[in-house]
Amino acid sequence: MWREKLKVVKENKIAGLYPFTKLWIVLFYSICAMILGTITVDGYPIYMILSFVIVPILAILTGIMKKVGGVLKNMAFLSFFIIVVQGILVKSKDIIITLNIFNFFNVNLYKQSLQYGLVLAFSIMCMGGILAWFFGSTDNKELISALESKGMGPKASYVFLSTLQMIEVLQKSSKTIMSAQQARGVETEGNVFVRSKAFIPSMVPLILSSITNTEERVLTLESKGFLVKGKKTKLYDVSPNGKEKIAMVSIIIYTVIIVLWRVLLWVL
Amino acid sequence: MGAIVQFKNVTYNYPLSDIPAIKDINLSFEKGKFYGVIGENGSGKTTFCNLIRGFAPSFYKGDLKGEVLINGKATVDYDEGDLALNIGYVFQNPFNQISGVKDTVFEEVAFGLENFGVPVDEIERRVVDIMKLTKIEHLAEKNPFSMSGGQQQRSALASIIVLEPDILVIDEPTSQLDPEGTESVFEIIAAMKAAKKTIILVEHKVDLIAEFADEVIVLKEGQVIRSGKTQDVLSDLSLLEHGVQLPQMAIIGDELIKRGVPLDYIPVTTSQAMEQLEKLLNKEAK
Repeated sequence: MWREKLKVVKENKIAGLYPFTKLWIVLFYSICAMILGTITVDGYPIYMILSFVIVPILAILTGIMKKVGGVLKNMAFLSFFIIVVQGILVKSKDIIITLNIFNFFNVNLYKQSLQYGLVLAFSIMCMGGILAWFFGSTDNKELISALESKGMGPKASYVFLSTLQMIEVLQKSSKTIMSAQQARGVETEGNVFVRSKAFIPSMVPLILSSITNTEERVLTLESKGFLVKGKKTKLYDVSPNGKEKIAMVSIIIYTVIIVLWRVLLWVL
Repeated sequence: MGAIVQFKNVTYNYPLSDIPAIKDINLSFEKGKFYGVIGENGSGKTTFCNLIRGFAPSFYKGDLKGEVLINGKATVDYDEGDLALNIGYVFQNPFNQISGVKDTVFEEVAFGLENFGVPVDEIERRVVDIMKLTKIEHLAEKNPFSMSGGQQQRSALASIIVLEPDILVIDEPTSQLDPEGTESVFEIIAAMKAAKKTIILVEHKVDLIAEFADEVIVLKEGQVIRSGKTQDVLSDLSLLEHGVQLPQMAIIGDELIKRGVPLDYIPVTTSQAMEQLEKLLNKEAK
């Protein structure tokens, strides 16, 4: 049976969790990360930094570390950049260390700015990381199926799904356009100034072709009865895998502990 | 057989345009026949197709005078979805006919049936049958975006044919395909002809129109300048003056006649030309 063949079967129990359960995990984890960012040790968000460790561990347990590893690496690079810029360029009360560069000028690392930079950076790492875990462990059609079962309309689900698919398609189109423009003598490789000159001759055809393609795609959808009112059949349905209760209980316990801890610190 | 599509005094202007894209067209299309629509660029072929399918004026707006009737009912009076069930439309660009929300060809072909609420078991049966007919079974698990143009166009045809429309409007389906892709698409069109669907095909490849079409309509500047049986229309060399391409065999046949070769008629297909040549050679042999 084709339907069985095309079903998304996940052996990994965490990856196979119902999409809404995973969304709750994302939400609660993010809230906890923000709360932990306010619990500091000598001004440093140590607990928030430690809580980020949950993300790669979760990715490994879900079996998607290869998939999300690249994303986490890019986020780490961005976060490092934020920490350095914040810590060096934003002046604050205390200086941790002063570096003398080639006996020419001094670079100060400011304590409060660094602390704030760490909070910013690890906010990105925690929330971005858990979202990367969510999208890495959830197929688009699983998510849409779950959203539609909760009443999301077909137009909204179409916009969501097609946006995700189109990113990859647009990337391919832009490569084709760049090659075509290169063939016409537009320089697309080289330093920043050379590449910036190629920006408009590359972007304009991409945007215009996307707009004209959209018209035909709308008519294609209409030809396939997309706008027909009435109940639509779902070839594919996602169902819980039975581990949702354990997952929800775990994340709720974790959240309650963090919230209680925060409240106690306020009170005491 | 009754008229399945009718144009009654149809004139159509796109929005903000004073020049009609289609002028004073009166035509009837019989059920189960294959019609070829030819004409130079800008002659109104695509607008003609859009009028049949109802995209003009419902999507493109504009000003429609006269009536386009499908099974006796004006296109403007049809509900959303009813026209999709009655008329299948295939566009030029295979890429734009991918819905953009399905991961596999199987699901892509099933998409229309899902929209109409067809039961799951029936969807599976119909999609499997259509994939066999259109020879895309081996592509069933492929991502639609990763296929070649010919494969995408076959998948697009499959996803329309699976809805079992009585009328197929096909607008230059092979313009972006290589010869192999073209041949594979026309195999499917031939199968639809054999299944007695009413087919209205816009094509620049007149040799293929000559092979398959029962009748041909020639458009120029939005008007019908010639219509009739394929043999009669495509052997009319005066159409060359109107920028219309004619089959190679017709041009060769005309030249041969001018040079005194006693052909019975101007052939428009390779098989007709071969038949005439064999006849001549047999005469010579006698």
